[in-house]
Amino acid sequence: MRLSVDEAFRRYGDRVFSAAFSICRSREDADDTVQDTFLKYHTQNADYADESHLKAWLLRVAINRARDITGAFWRRNRVSWEDNMNELEFEQPEDRSLFEAVMQLPEKYRIVIHLHYYEEYSIEEISRTVRRSPGTVKSQLNRGRKLLKSILTEDGNHD
Amino acid sequence: MIDKEQYQRTFGVLHASGDFLKEDITMQPAKRFSARRIGILCAAVILILGMATVCYAADVGGIRRTVQLWIHGDQTTAVMDIQNGQYTMTYEDAEGHTQQRGGGGVAINPDGSERPLTEQELLEHLNSPEVAYKEDGSVWIYYMDQAMEITDLFNAENICFVQLKNGDETLYVTVKYQGAYATSLNAFPQPENFN
Repeated sequence: MRLSVDEAFRRYGDRVFSAAFSICRSREDADDTVQDTFLKYHTQNADYADESHLKAWLLRVAINRARDITGAFWRRNRVSWEDNMNELEFEQPEDRSLFEAVMQLPEKYRIVIHLHYYEEYSIEEISRTVRRSPGTVKSQLNRGRKLLKSILTEDGNHD
Repeated sequence: MIDKEQYQRTFGVLHASGDFLKEDITMQPAKRFSARRIGILCAAVILILGMATVCYAADVGGIRRTVQLWIHGDQTTAVMDIQNGQYTMTYEDAEGHTQQRGGGGVAINPDGSERPLTEQELLEHLNSPEVAYKEDGSVWIYYMDQAMEITDLFNAENICFVQLKNGDETLYVTVKYQGAYATSLNAFPQPENFN
């Protein structure tokens, strides 16, 4: 199967952006990641087995690109994610707390947490997407959950 | 504890802009560099120039150079096109694939006015250290012909301090895990001084 760039973006643009944001923690870098990912989709001109294959490809490309952007040397001065918080309109107050807690996690935990909870990916699917062993993913998912719980509990105690 | 429904609702507030779709994507080159990125590079270059206190000729535009630089520990020959303080660079990677990079920036004059970076200023920054996050989770820093794994050198605050040698010169590097990094020839930059 092959979708037009517009249609692929309509279906998966927000998912790609969300995965990129979980790595970059920056709207600007996540937008650049989305742009580069769909530009690569356009230039690659490949066929995909089905929609899940296409989504997995887009997420894998976006995650790699987001990591490149995050580590690039021109990214030495960057607006922090906290500065973007006022632009986000959460439905529930606890959603904001969850978002802030996830953003405090190290990247290696953020991305596996995101793929598990947002994309509902299995350990095996996360393993293929982030190119880490299933054992590593399982361990990072457990540690990420514990750390997230700890941050949320600590924040709750402060409130 | 969190559940998937709450997580999806929370992160459902994030939306891609899609502005790039308004342009004709079929007319775009393989690599693009936004004005925003150039602006980010400017800030870094301005910071470093401030310490260097070196003056260069102001106007070099429309220049093509073949340069040698270090990319991930390999000395690489690249063709570099420079115009108005910006560059695009084309080179072959270790697998023989053609790759492109680009960037640019401005420097601030003593009177506060801005000027495009010169060819020499751009060249000096091509061999700046680069931090790479590998798919296996390891973290590496590349500088000239050196490649050093720093995965286990991050402290409890996820900050890594590392010294890099180039001849008699020592470069002090401070790296924030999955974040920015800064360098200095004099002392480790303090994490609170850069984002």
